[in-house]
Amino acid sequence: MKEELNNLKNNALAQIIEAGGINTLEELRISYLGRNGSVNKFFKELGKLDSDDRKDFGILLNETKKTIEEAIGDKEQKLTQTLSKGDKYFDPSIPGEKYKIGHLHPTTIVINEMFDIFKHLGFSNIEGPEIESDKFNFEILNLPKDHPARSLQDALFIQEPEVVLRTHTSSVESRALTEYKPPFRFVVAGKCYRYENVNASNNAMFYQFQGFALQEGLSMADLKGTLIYFVKKFFGEDREIRARCKYYPEVEPGMGVDIDCRFCKKKGCSVCKGRGWIEMLGSGMIHPNILKNLGYKTEEMSGFAFGMGLDRIVMDRFGIPDIRSLYNGDIKY
Amino acid sequence: MRIPIEWLNEYVKIPKNISVLTDGLTMAGHMLDKIDNTKYGTVIDLELRGNRADCYSILGIAREVSAIFKTPLTHPKTDTLHKTIKKISGLFLKADSNYVKRVMMVKINNVKITKSPDWLKNRLSAYGIEPLNNIVDLTNYVMLETGEPMHAFDADRIGGDVFIRIAKKGEKIITFQNKTIVLTDDDLVWSNNKNILSVAGAIGSKEFSITDNTQNIILEAASYEQANIRRTIYRHNLLTDAGIRHEKKLDPTLVEEGIRRYLYLIKNEGWGEMGGELFDFYPSPITSKRITLYYDYINRLSGFEIDKKISVDVLRRLNMKIVGNTKDSIQVIPPSYRTDIESKEDLVEEILRIVGYDKIPNNVLSLEIPPDKMPEYIEQERSVKNILISLGFEEVISIPFTAPKYQPLNSSLSQRTNPVIVANRPSPEIEEMRMNMLPSLVEPMQKTINEHGEISKLFEVGKIYSQKSEKYTEYRAAGILYWEKDGMSYRKFKGKLEAFFTILNIADVKYEESECQILTESFKILLENNIVGIGGNYKGAYFAEIYLDNLLGKSRITKVNLWPKHPPQIEDMTIKIPRGVMAGEVMQKIKSSSTLVSEVELKDTYNISYTFRISYQHPEKTLTNKEVEKARNSISIKLKNDLNLTLDA
Repeated sequence: MKEELNNLKNNALAQIIEAGGINTLEELRISYLGRNGSVNKFFKELGKLDSDDRKDFGILLNETKKTIEEAIGDKEQKLTQTLSKGDKYFDPSIPGEKYKIGHLHPTTIVINEMFDIFKHLGFSNIEGPEIESDKFNFEILNLPKDHPARSLQDALFIQEPEVVLRTHTSSVESRALTEYKPPFRFVVAGKCYRYENVNASNNAMFYQFQGFALQEGLSMADLKGTLIYFVKKFFGEDREIRARCKYYPEVEPGMGVDIDCRFCKKKGCSVCKGRGWIEMLGSGMIHPNILKNLGYKTEEMSGFAFGMGLDRIVMDRFGIPDIRSLYNGDIKY
Repeated sequence: MRIPIEWLNEYVKIPKNISVLTDGLTMAGHMLDKIDNTKYGTVIDLELRGNRADCYSILGIAREVSAIFKTPLTHPKTDTLHKTIKKISGLFLKADSNYVKRVMMVKINNVKITKSPDWLKNRLSAYGIEPLNNIVDLTNYVMLETGEPMHAFDADRIGGDVFIRIAKKGEKIITFQNKTIVLTDDDLVWSNNKNILSVAGAIGSKEFSITDNTQNIILEAASYEQANIRRTIYRHNLLTDAGIRHEKKLDPTLVEEGIRRYLYLIKNEGWGEMGGELFDFYPSPITSKRITLYYDYINRLSGFEIDKKISVDVLRRLNMKIVGNTKDSIQVIPPSYRTDIESKEDLVEEILRIVGYDKIPNNVLSLEIPPDKMPEYIEQERSVKNILISLGFEEVISIPFTAPKYQPLNSSLSQRTNPVIVANRPSPEIEEMRMNMLPSLVEPMQKTINEHGEISKLFEVGKIYSQKSEKYTEYRAAGILYWEKDGMSYRKFKGKLEAFFTILNIADVKYEESECQILTESFKILLENNIVGIGGNYKGAYFAEIYLDNLLGKSRITKVNLWPKHPPQIEDMTIKIPRGVMAGEVMQKIKSSSTLVSEVELKDTYNISYTFRISYQHPEKTLTNKEVEKARNSISIKLKNDLNLTLDA
């Protein structure tokens, strides 16, 4: 009898494993575990055995019943899972519900990035007014009236000739030089204005980024190292930089910094006007006249300054072809 | 300036490879603009800087090439026969202005006017000046060669008396290009007894210019006060080859070099006879500058050690005289044509640019880091932008002027009344500065609407400007504009504003109705009784402007709330609120009626029925129904007593 029971169990388990659908499984349950099922038949036989055998066989019979029940339960679970996959169609490619997100303006993104780079070098970020006096926009910066460089910076006047919209962020430099005691390192970004009719290459307003430092012991090597650190961080470690002599009235010695043209790899193309290099920023040691006028001895105190236009950099970084699009609400996010 | 290579090569040996030449010049301060291959040979176009008046000449560039590449310079031949005198027979000159620094004149008789020979024509053409006749072409030639502009008059037409004076306002001159110029009393001119002969340093009159019939000429070269010339040439748009040289600081010594070069060439070509007298008016001759330069200073400003011998060698190559030499310093006299050199820093630049800026090491700032001086509001302004981004708004940056069609918006929405006006507007769009942010945001929003968009959420953080009796003020502001095609409401917009203030850790912001001609549902935003913003409905879009100056600058501590240990009891309460009673006030009353009310939230409104969700909570225990009921009664009493409202059953 024990052998018979064992065979029954093996058969049942094999059939359960084979069962391909929930209906087959139900049939199996009825045929094995139902009231008139095979397992119950053995229970009916149980009374015919003597007491010792009855106890042993009873245990075995209960175990067998339990094993079959569990096997059916497991199988059922598997089958229903498969079923649900087949029944409910799932399309992960369906678009999500629209969620309105905001964006920073490309110029803000660039300014933030630059501020963060200079923060590592100990520069503090400051600001200054846009409506500016002739004194801070020109005079202090070694640009007296009738200075030739003034004709290149046609100002928008609020009140001629003393009140202008600042023509460069250097006006903040002149304010800081008068207001703060060295040592200091500052960076400034902001709107500047020139007398221009808006066209494909010019706006009457543009953004500049400016930095300057005043501290005993600063040198051209510090300036060059600072700018190269910045350019590599901002434009990429693989970019090449060229420092050359260039005159600016606010500095002496003056230095122009160019970056390799990434379009032609320095071979010369229309973007770089065949030069292989793109002018990036102007810089130099703060002019001795400026320092002397503010009461510093040039033997004791030195400083450097640098400045660059931001709009071209922003256009280049974000692939904006027309300068007018930057500040006329044309940018679609 | 355009430099024909063939011409340059006459005075200095140049590197075979043109790019070696142009790289050298670029690094030393004269950036190559472009290389032009013409039928007259290669021409390099250099972007010269305004301080180097001496470089606006072939010779000037030749001197630079000589210094950079250590190659000898050949000077062009000049007349050495004629002595200068103070008076010239048959010609009287009166220089009646301090603007005249030096004038030389000479009469050349029996000139032969012809077409110029090829060497002359080709060089002028390569540079970009149209050849005319030999006499005029030669003045241009010598100008390009030496840098000294000069002018030839028809001697028989001008007569015996010549004046250099300030023009009378309204005097006229017709230039040889047939352009009439009406002069001002700030323009320096040459004249005879009757007529204006030329605008000094810029352009000559047609009437007295050289023609095919000219027999005798007066040749002049001069040096003027550069600022006056600059004002004149920009005023009358006379950016001629002479003008752009005279508006820079030209060396008065050049006047004589130029004249003598001209005399040499005219004699050599046999184009005229020199009168024999060379007039020179030079009231205060320049004196040479002497600059003391310490070697130690060179190293300190450069940031690296430059060998003493190298410094001295470089300065000598640049024709500087070293007149004193100690262990620590040198005395340097720059050549007279280097009008730009005034200080020891200028000399350091000279040394560096010839040694090469590429030799300057890249120091990472090694000095002590100065204390941070950034004002608090800058970082806060940055977070204001980030907050608005997180609320789904797009940043706009605009040119802060108000176009004419938006000017009514500019004046009637602002707390201030007088806009800042540009005195010299380039166009009507660049004239009136904005006094509020709405005009800057309406235009970009309109783009979204025009393109059948569903939603436009914009902001700008920037400045607004105003003036009062010539005092100009700039305020920091955040403008916010929100438009949705469907389902737009004040509540929806205000939710964003509330979120904005919450992230900024600013509580207790109040909104009050205000008067406005432009906006409906107009409100002002108050913080501690100060107006920190305004807003309202503009043609279906909601606008708010936050005055950041009144908000930022103070640091605010972020408070963190933890989940309560004891859960709240929550119930909804519907109240009929008649017009005239503010929902905000009702909520305030509910909140203040019992310490157990931890939160009041508006869930729903239907006509005048408002459903509030009220949370009752105690920090240390779970409330019993009895305690909640007591709190509910307090609310009921408070609403009844203070506002005469009853709770719906």
